[in-house]
Amino acid sequence: MILPGLLLLMVIMTAQMPAGRVPAPVTLSWPDYFGNRVFLPAGNPVTEDGIALGRRLFYEKALSSTDQMSCATCHQQAKAFTDGKRFSAGADGVLQPRNTMSLANLLWVRQLFWDGRAGSLEEQAVTPLTALHEMGQSLVVSAAKLQKLPRYRALFRRAFGSDSITGDRIVKALAQFERTLISANSRYDQYLQGKYQPSVSESNGITLFYANTDPVRGTRGAGCAHCHGGPKTYSDLFHNNGLDSLPADAGRQQITGQAYDKGRFRVAALCNIALTAPYMHDGRFPDLESVIDHYSEHVIHNETLSPFLQQPLLLTKQEKNDLLAFLHMLTDSAFVTDPRFSNPFNNN
Amino acid sequence: MIRNCFLGLLLLTGMTAMAQQKPAVKVSGEVTRPLTLYPENLRQMKRTTVSLKDRDGNDHAYTGVPVQEILEQAGVTTGKALRGENLSKYLLVRCADGYEVLFSLAELDSSFTDRVVILADESGGQPLPAGKGPFRLVVPGEKKPARSSFQVTDMIIRFAKD
Repeated sequence: MILPGLLLLMVIMTAQMPAGRVPAPVTLSWPDYFGNRVFLPAGNPVTEDGIALGRRLFYEKALSSTDQMSCATCHQQAKAFTDGKRFSAGADGVLQPRNTMSLANLLWVRQLFWDGRAGSLEEQAVTPLTALHEMGQSLVVSAAKLQKLPRYRALFRRAFGSDSITGDRIVKALAQFERTLISANSRYDQYLQGKYQPSVSESNGITLFYANTDPVRGTRGAGCAHCHGGPKTYSDLFHNNGLDSLPADAGRQQITGQAYDKGRFRVAALCNIALTAPYMHDGRFPDLESVIDHYSEHVIHNETLSPFLQQPLLLTKQEKNDLLAFLHMLTDSAFVTDPRFSNPFNNN
Repeated sequence: MIRNCFLGLLLLTGMTAMAQQKPAVKVSGEVTRPLTLYPENLRQMKRTTVSLKDRDGNDHAYTGVPVQEILEQAGVTTGKALRGENLSKYLLVRCADGYEVLFSLAELDSSFTDRVVILADESGGQPLPAGKGPFRLVVPGEKKPARSSFQVTDMIIRFAKD
């Protein structure tokens, strides 16, 4: 009896909320070892109501030209916000030219997309929403469609202080939700927090990940961390990783116009990597074993190959297995089942 | 489906392809004269040669323009002006692959140190090799060459304000 009464009170309060109410700010948190080099635009503070709206919009199919597709069609939580496909199909059925990227720990990513062409999540969101072969609908049309749906006026008022539904507010709310997608509870995180004892193979994998092979010192390593960073297993870098002698996709060169950027792509974050197959910008590798084989013995020399991949790693079978064990440590099961990131329409 | 994918790629390439750009280093931030330095600009500036022990463990000679010279051209507080609050300024060097390294201005200034850090464009009389050039920061005298970063694109001067 009390609960329905409270719900009714909340509904009345929401309906009567005055314009100009300031949404409650949210302080995002992460482990200290992630560091604080985060990108939080001052013009779009993260708030409780902004996140709630963004989550709903992330799963809202009315944002596509066919009403059949949402962000979550290609960014599925169970697969660390990927879809398992080499190339995702847009609302019109046309395949994307590049593999869908995982969404996690985006606070630390300064240049979005495989080629780094977007400088913020707000800017990034515009492309999948409006591109002809993605969700295929202008922000003006999306805003008009949301106006006609129940609840959205109230949700936008709560998030932004007034009823106005605009494209700018749509992408801002989506960006706020995406900033909350922090994955920091994998077995590797638990190990870093002193809560998990790795197996021998996992422990060897950690060592190989960070170390370089040095014949003088007698050390073996795969040097992965040079580009894949420290505890976050991410660095904001672009490299040509030797997939082709003549890259079919110019990658970052399309953005900068510089010859030295030909075939360069953003270095992928490795958190939840075991859930995000297939791999590379063109999804050419079906599994992590193929990825490790590539770096071990199949890197192809080309004019813009990363200077850090000039020598083949030539890993032993055991070393490959150990690296694989480490990469599986990066799966955060709590993240991919966290109800805060799930489809809110399932609860209606 | 595959055909559609290739068509998509062709479209993307056609729509976003950018004309070939000449490589350059931009100097910005706390400067009075923002600069965009092209290869020919560096060749006309005061040049010097320094030695760097590279990852191969051997010493290599690099030629280019002292960073202090570049900062002076950009109107950065160097020499006698590098005092007081200006000692809390830093230089952030950004590279084409996104790599970044940082120096306090005092580390680069001849009134504080004899070490000469240069923006190199030549080694052994040759342009720098692909992957490292056309512009490489060369920081002599460090135990590892991690700050001697490749393919420099930006030099940004800022105040540390925390």
